[in-house]
Amino acid sequence: MTRKRRRLYWLLACGLGVGSAAALALSAFRDNLVFFVLPSDLAAQHPGPDRTLRLGGLVAEGSVMRGSEDGHPLARFRITDGRDAVPVTFSGILPDLFREGQGVVALGTLGRDGVFHAAEVLAKHDETYMPKDVAEALKQKGLWNPKAGPPPPASTWNTLAPAKAGAATKAGG
Amino acid sequence: MTHLPYIVAAYALAVLVPAAYGLAAMRRLRLARSRLAALDPRPARREARR
Amino acid sequence: MTAESSASPGGFEMAPGAAMFRSVDALSSLAAPVPPKAPGRGLHRFANPGRFLRLAGALQPWLTAGGLILTAAGLVWGLVFAPADWQQGDAVRIMYVHVPAAWLASAGYLALAVCSVLSLVWRHPLADLAAAEIGPVGAAFTGICLATGSLWGKPMWGAWWVWDARLTSVLVLFFLYLGHIALIRAFDDPTRGYRAGAILALVGVVNLPIIKFSVDWWNTLHQPATISLTGAPSMYLGMLWPLALTALGYTLVFAALVTARTRAAVMERRIRALLMAAAAREDGAVQVAA
Repeated sequence: MTRKRRRLYWLLACGLGVGSAAALALSAFRDNLVFFVLPSDLAAQHPGPDRTLRLGGLVAEGSVMRGSEDGHPLARFRITDGRDAVPVTFSGILPDLFREGQGVVALGTLGRDGVFHAAEVLAKHDETYMPKDVAEALKQKGLWNPKAGPPPPASTWNTLAPAKAGAATKAGG
Repeated sequence: MTHLPYIVAAYALAVLVPAAYGLAAMRRLRLARSRLAALDPRPARREARR
Repeated sequence: MTAESSASPGGFEMAPGAAMFRSVDALSSLAAPVPPKAPGRGLHRFANPGRFLRLAGALQPWLTAGGLILTAAGLVWGLVFAPADWQQGDAVRIMYVHVPAAWLASAGYLALAVCSVLSLVWRHPLADLAAAEIGPVGAAFTGICLATGSLWGKPMWGAWWVWDARLTSVLVLFFLYLGHIALIRAFDDPTRGYRAGAILALVGVVNLPIIKFSVDWWNTLHQPATISLTGAPSMYLGMLWPLALTALGYTLVFAALVTARTRAAVMERRIRALLMAAAAREDGAVQVAA
């Protein structure tokens, strides 16, 4: 019995050690673990024109202009985090989910003129999942504008009965 | 259906990999059982003693 | 008696006090410092291989059938009947395989860790075998999670893979599984393999909270959790039910696979022990004759 107990305490002590070591390491590398920086981070400190970085945020409402340059599609838009916004240019094919109000992550460099030249744009969808008719219903009732931000709290809509869904019977409950 | 190739590939993986594991486990279980039965006649002996 | 023995796999069964097998089994793990305890006490009740085989054999058909039925129902529901997402379209259907696989990858590792504690602290012989069998199954589910995530990420995000904290920590989980699989089989003396594997598995547990909270602690491309313990799931209920079905079905499939493999491992260990005992008897006979 005592041997088992001793082994257990040993194990707990080792676990504590490994856990705190991991916590220390993670907090030490905190800045390197972020996948992207926000527009307000760039506003606070210009990273330099040669540094390649990822810029993340929402595509600002009404900022998207699609055109072409030398036969290549060229898109201009602004990425915002609500406090600051950074103008972005991107020459290439935007992902399907790209739209105003969508979260995106752009890889590129920030020029001296403050324009971010993206070499790659990824769409970052959120964690809400809803059928088209529910989204339409929310929009029609004026409860949600997808261009402006995330949908209202899930409890207000996740039992909403659309035209014909399997869970329609649950809506009453 | 949009993005059909991606969906089909994902579902195929999600079904075929566990299925392959299941078949392998079944074969392994059957082999072990038959080898053990050949090696270990003890249950039969004990049965005979009663 | 006849009913019981015919129900046991392979038509053999082990009485709780079968001392002969016990001594033979000890040959296969000479380095085990703790002698087998009397049966019927606490955790070690299930250390009796005969009892484990009977119990697991009885459980197996339920796990297998339940897993197959629930998974099939959930997958068909998710693939055909669940509504498409308003912005992701039908690609959201990949969620019904990706998310359960991801949950099982973590839950399987937790099971591996529990077995490792049982192995290190209580020297439980079945925990050793179970840990060795959980590894490959967990690695497979982690692989499914990574591959389906990739197949989901390409059409939605626009990239097969990104090095964000969530994806990277799950990749680390995959490598932890692979390392455990290799390490636990790397020694001639299986007991040393079990110890080394258990230590690796327990050190790797630190990765589980990192996986879970990576999407909250750091900004990642991967979206945060949809389903939380505290709030309503931000998912339409017609999408939540098939997800719940596949998750439950996958859990049972995982359990069925591990049970089947562990049963086979118990029998294989007994085969090895019997063969060694037979070889030892032959040696002894030769020496007596000489």
